[in-house]
Amino acid sequence: MFRLLRPFEYLEPSCVAEAVEMLVRYGEKARIFAGGTDLVISMKKRQIVPDYLIAIGHLSELDFIEAEPNGTLRLGPLATHARLAASPLVWQRFPMLATACNEVGTPQVRNMGTIGGNVCKAGPSQDTPPVLVSLEAKLHLVGPSGKRTVPMDQFCTGPFCTVLAQDELVVEIEIPPLPPRSAGCYKWITKITATDETLAGAGVVVVLKEDGSFEDVRIGLGSVAPMAIRARRAESLLRGTWPEAAQIAEAAQIASEEAEPRSRAAYRRRMVQVLVNEGVTEMQRQIAASMQEAGR
Amino acid sequence: MKTVATFTVNGLPHEIAVEPHQLLIEVLREHLGLTGTKHSCGVGNCGACTVLVDGTPELACLTLAMEVRDKSVLTIEGLAKEGLLHPLQQAFVDYGAIQCGYCTPGMILTGKALLDDNPDPTEHEVREALAGNICRCTGYVKIVEAVLAAAEVMRKGGN
Amino acid sequence: MEGHAADNRKSAVHQGAEVAQFSVVGTRIRQPDGPAKATGEAKFAGDISLPGMLIGKILRSPYPHAVIKSIDTSKAEALPGVMAVLTPDNVAEWKTFDRGMKDMPLVAGGYRVPSEEAVVNKVARHYGDAIAAVAAVDEHTAEEAIELLEVEYELLPFVLDAEEAMQPDAPQVSDLAPDNVGKHLFYPYPEGDVDKALAEADLVVSGVFSTHKQDHCTQETAACVAYLDASGRLNVWSQCQLAHLGRRELASIFKMPVNRIKLMTPFVGGSFGQRGAVCAEPIAVALALRSKRPVRLVFSREDNFLGLESRTGFKKIDIKMGFTSDGTLTAIKTQMIGTLGGYMGCGPMSSVIGMTLAMGHYRCPNRFGEAHMVMTNTPVSGAMRGFGNDAMMFCIEQLMDDAARRLGIDPIDIRLKNAKEPGEIASMGLELESTYMEDCLQLGAEAFGWHEKRTQAKKDEGPIKRGYGMATMSHCTGAAPLYLEHSNAMVKFNEDGSADLTVHPAPVGQHIWGALSQICAEELGIRAEDVHIVTGDTDVTLFEYGSDASRSTYAIGGATLRAARQAKEQMLARAAEMLEVPADRLEVKDRVVVVKGRPDKTVTVAEVCYDAIYAFGGRATNFAGKQSFESTWNSPTYGAYFAEVEVNTETGRVHVPRFVTAIDCGKAINPMAVEGQLEGGLQQGLGYALTENFIVNPKTGVVETDNYDSYKVPGALDMPDSTVLIVDKPDPKGPFGAKGVGEPGMVGIPPCIANAVYDAIGVRLRDLPMTPERVLEALTEKTEGETETVRGE
Repeated sequence: MFRLLRPFEYLEPSCVAEAVEMLVRYGEKARIFAGGTDLVISMKKRQIVPDYLIAIGHLSELDFIEAEPNGTLRLGPLATHARLAASPLVWQRFPMLATACNEVGTPQVRNMGTIGGNVCKAGPSQDTPPVLVSLEAKLHLVGPSGKRTVPMDQFCTGPFCTVLAQDELVVEIEIPPLPPRSAGCYKWITKITATDETLAGAGVVVVLKEDGSFEDVRIGLGSVAPMAIRARRAESLLRGTWPEAAQIAEAAQIASEEAEPRSRAAYRRRMVQVLVNEGVTEMQRQIAASMQEAGR
Repeated sequence: MKTVATFTVNGLPHEIAVEPHQLLIEVLREHLGLTGTKHSCGVGNCGACTVLVDGTPELACLTLAMEVRDKSVLTIEGLAKEGLLHPLQQAFVDYGAIQCGYCTPGMILTGKALLDDNPDPTEHEVREALAGNICRCTGYVKIVEAVLAAAEVMRKGGN
Repeated sequence: MEGHAADNRKSAVHQGAEVAQFSVVGTRIRQPDGPAKATGEAKFAGDISLPGMLIGKILRSPYPHAVIKSIDTSKAEALPGVMAVLTPDNVAEWKTFDRGMKDMPLVAGGYRVPSEEAVVNKVARHYGDAIAAVAAVDEHTAEEAIELLEVEYELLPFVLDAEEAMQPDAPQVSDLAPDNVGKHLFYPYPEGDVDKALAEADLVVSGVFSTHKQDHCTQETAACVAYLDASGRLNVWSQCQLAHLGRRELASIFKMPVNRIKLMTPFVGGSFGQRGAVCAEPIAVALALRSKRPVRLVFSREDNFLGLESRTGFKKIDIKMGFTSDGTLTAIKTQMIGTLGGYMGCGPMSSVIGMTLAMGHYRCPNRFGEAHMVMTNTPVSGAMRGFGNDAMMFCIEQLMDDAARRLGIDPIDIRLKNAKEPGEIASMGLELESTYMEDCLQLGAEAFGWHEKRTQAKKDEGPIKRGYGMATMSHCTGAAPLYLEHSNAMVKFNEDGSADLTVHPAPVGQHIWGALSQICAEELGIRAEDVHIVTGDTDVTLFEYGSDASRSTYAIGGATLRAARQAKEQMLARAAEMLEVPADRLEVKDRVVVVKGRPDKTVTVAEVCYDAIYAFGGRATNFAGKQSFESTWNSPTYGAYFAEVEVNTETGRVHVPRFVTAIDCGKAINPMAVEGQLEGGLQQGLGYALTENFIVNPKTGVVETDNYDSYKVPGALDMPDSTVLIVDKPDPKGPFGAKGVGEPGMVGIPPCIANAVYDAIGVRLRDLPMTPERVLEALTEKTEGETETVRGE
């Protein structure tokens, strides 16, 4: 019901190290401020009332989209969703991430909001976490005692909770390359309208062996549990097999049982089933087709 | 603590003392009297407060004024040049794309960013670009038509 | 610059042969307010700034039912810059009011609602009820002051559901309704013996339906600026759709003569019925009077969802319709239970208006309807575009489809069979002046490809099931004879032949200034751009009931036409003297007065007007007309709607790729504006049918959908490809043949989509909105039942 923000002190660190110092100094009273699309709303609603905002938007060392020769993609936390969605580096290597970035909020929100913010908010219905989870991304964190790396699926501990310490900052999101004969996609359904929040999202990565069997499959689910999760039971049902429609459907069913949705629970579970089924089936077909193409 | 900063709005520099917790929409509306930037939902869903920051549509109600100090802000008031409506403004008037007019500034600015980037969009591309701007009056039909018509005028270099 | 605007590509105007040749009416003029709105120059209430102005802010109840035991204002008042604090205990000097403004003798066939709402309330009757307010030097200080108010609540038991509220042991919402039934109302035009007719019918179709509370979602939230000037006059910038009634209501609350209030109407960012009630005004004025400073009060989006009236939802609409085997409708019986919320407001009449319009849509000799409008501890219900007709047509048009299917008749044919003809009694109890529903059906069916689509075999599209549906509706043109119908207009000629038209419609975006300038210019024989609209100030404008009930073009246009005619007659009399011919030999067109049959003998309108104003020797005059219009008839507008839907049987999502609307709104004064009304109505109708849902937590009474992040209106990507067709045949009574077109755009949408969904998946969705869960549930029931399940039968 409030349209404006309560006063706070605005701090502008000149580098990551200084940002960390500020976090150490001000502790719980401080918040990192980047794109602002989530934080400003929470501050208007008085859900978060920080005394200090540590603005990092101008730190160019956190703003990059880079690819290594081996295929690893390195993303600065300040990369906006719009830039990620439009980046050829992202499109070519991980189209599923571009898809997810393009699904966040509205065009204006995508122009402002950053992937670091999307990940650190750790809201249950963010779009990038299920994709990052299925891509087995790693987050590089910096704190007063140095750097550490956390796998994406261990980053969130609950709704709006992460392992990020009060004095730590995400400085990079690293996405390892996918092996040959692999493909991934992001399947989602919104709550009701086209630009609505995501009701259920599934990041699906499939890796085939040369014989066509599933070497690996990774299913990241978003918006259907307190945080983005891997549907590991569904994955293991498929791994090492030559699944046909019925088995994929069974895996999708199991994935829906792995989901722990709170509201609209039955419907969300049902949608998990639809999305996983669709995603796995499509990726299996896509890789098989490109293998056939390559074999010619 | 107030900071005196320079804001470039509609091509002109303004020196303004702002509090860090002030939003861009407050500076535009209350300090500069640029009331064409509208407040509607406050939570990033409606696009009424859209302004162009370095040419990109952003939401003035979710932006701290401090964050745009070194950037160029365009509001609806800066679009017409020397009394001549921008082709998008003219098309909105001509095609009946304005009813109550409250979403209009945000729509036109979002449309401008689209056409600057993509001079020949399809209807679907126009709808995608405008997906974050809610209109409750027009059903978007005439708005989409106006953007497409303006694109054609601009491609021909006309005003 | 030519006055004509761009042509629209997807719509068409089908002129009847009998249409007279107009030069201004019927053209697609640009709106006079377009450039101001396109440049950001247009001032809305929230854009107004005055020297020394304060900002107001409201504190709302976090509980659905609670006594405000006390409010400790000391911390707020100690905050520098806080200039006024209103609490329930310090507003007693002002009178209570009914926000629907129906405590005044406006309603002929309806009811009067006693006043029971205070500026801020001692007992919060719903989540979000206003219980305190502050005014401070800026919005930051006002927000901080609100956060510093310390309220002691005594929680009361609450009831949220209309049917539960009717139970004997339910908590009582209002002293005015001991049994919580705020109003027990009946269909005002009953006829025949409906039970007997149903018993004798060859076919009875029936169903129990429900509709929901839709928020208007005006893009501008409620706002008001008020100040008491040094001479003791109250100046108010108000968004009220009914400006003169708003002024009268404020005069009553604040105990002032009406002419000590100057009510000004700025541009209003949408209304759709919401500003037909008192909104931000009472609190803004009270803060201004208390602080003795100008005050601007702008609602947040949440304030809008919680504090204003929105569409009245019906918990239950039970309808039975009887038919003979040839498809003749013989009986309609309706029982409604509506949800009013914490105050009565405009809500109760949505039942009567809905029954009146919908049960009188078709010829039917036996009709009976009854409504219990029930108070609950939820935000207040009122009028929104359609005003109950939307809910009733949702039911009736689905049952018509059921009947058509059972009887093996095409859905279009069964509607034509029962359509009324001119001369019969129309829905509002008056003679039907004109109806071209058949034209609507023909044009719409042709453009949509109805007959081909309904007969061709459906392709296999996997989980997507495609369906085609249609519906019709009629809606009032103004509210006669149920509500007050009184408009006034003044027209004066200036010395250069231009004219000023003084009227007071609500400029809420419906292109009314343009339409009135066209009516005025057509009659005066000048161009639309020659007419300047003088408006928006009750000091200047004559009494105007206002803009609602799809009446502005018809009623204010009616007054405009008469006033223009009066001014024109004066001008022609003078021209007759100048040309030395009798006035009846003159005609005026495109700014020139011509002697009929003598094209060489002319004088310009400018010359005549100049001669009159600057004449010396006792002959000076200013041509001016002033006329009243009080409608004693009501010509319904008719529409036919056609939808194509895709129902995803896996996700339950309903997608509408294509929609066709065909409308008989009489002569379209500006076809582009008519299209705009129907295209906008489609967005609201689609949202009402599919995406929007006002959700109150059943356990806590908290409104869960208080902003656009949770309450979803359709965006540009959610809309169908839309075609609007205008029949364009004149009504005998409307100005240049026009009828109303504000509300029809949305009324026919939900039943049309529901009928298309039935065609796609064979199940009836009788509850709005048609959510994915409801679609899937209905599909499951159908499968489990093995046979076609029609719920409610």
